[in-house]
Amino acid sequence: MSRQASRGTESKKMSSELFTLTYGALVTQLCKDYENDEDVNKQLDKMGYNIGVRLIEDFLARSSVGRCHDFRETADVIAKVAFKMYLGITPSITNWSPAGDEFSLILENNPLVDFVELPDNHSSLIYSNLLCGVLRGALEMVQMAVDVKFVQDTLKGDGVTEIRMKFVRRIEDNLPAGEE
Amino acid sequence: MAVCIAVIAKENYPLYIRSIPTENELKFHYTVHTSLDVVDEKISAMGKALVDQRELYLGLLYPTEDYKVYGYMTNSKVKFVMVVDSSNTALRDNEIRSMFRKLHNSYTDVMCNPFYNPGDCIHSRAFDNMVTSMMMQVC
Repeated sequence: MSRQASRGTESKKMSSELFTLTYGALVTQLCKDYENDEDVNKQLDKMGYNIGVRLIEDFLARSSVGRCHDFRETADVIAKVAFKMYLGITPSITNWSPAGDEFSLILENNPLVDFVELPDNHSSLIYSNLLCGVLRGALEMVQMAVDVKFVQDTLKGDGVTEIRMKFVRRIEDNLPAGEE
Repeated sequence: MAVCIAVIAKENYPLYIRSIPTENELKFHYTVHTSLDVVDEKISAMGKALVDQRELYLGLLYPTEDYKVYGYMTNSKVKFVMVVDSSNTALRDNEIRSMFRKLHNSYTDVMCNPFYNPGDCIHSRAFDNMVTSMMMQVC
């Protein structure tokens, strides 16, 4: 509790250039370390996942959002609270599937990709794949298995960046026998 | 309006050079190359104290019969050289200045691209487009 009190709910300011360049350095280093782009994508996703499973605790402590009743509410919280808190942007939510288990987050401008131009020899690199991992990891900790992937990316010449999220299943808590 | 735009590294090798009449490319390379001596001259003439607080814009380096050559040097000693048609009298000093500023901003963006290694030739599409737009403007 003391930790929470010391952090407060106000967001800390950080230079966006420093953030963007740090992420850029991370991705280019991975590109040097791994042979092909698929491995880099996988690694970014894994790192994102590890961030996500930790970040969710911070998020819940600071945002005081309650339990979501359906996936639409979850989508709203992700776009309007989580993205706003950590990246300072508010993506729009569109393209709901009829069943209501799949939607798209449209990022007008992605702070991770300022200045970035993908070179031709990295055409299959998903530069911001870390975000997918973060979303997957965070939702897994609140008992939701989701499938997250980029379908459009401004780096590849698309007009906007689109992240597609699909609800897979609820992860049941394995309560020990004897308890409720 | 500019006919040739070049970016020269600190160690005086070209990072980027482009000219519009492509058949005469070599001539522009020579022009830019000779202009570097003028840049050095201007800088050394300024004296040590002034160099630290000077303006980045170096002004007209030298005029030839058909062209005027302008220079700009960043604090990291990267030089921008622009060759302009001298028949284009409408071009004021202020506009040249703002073109150099635009070039500088664009160059900064290139440097911030994590896939660009400082010292390499510039192959950025965004930078290319910006240079093209500067060359097209009035022509």
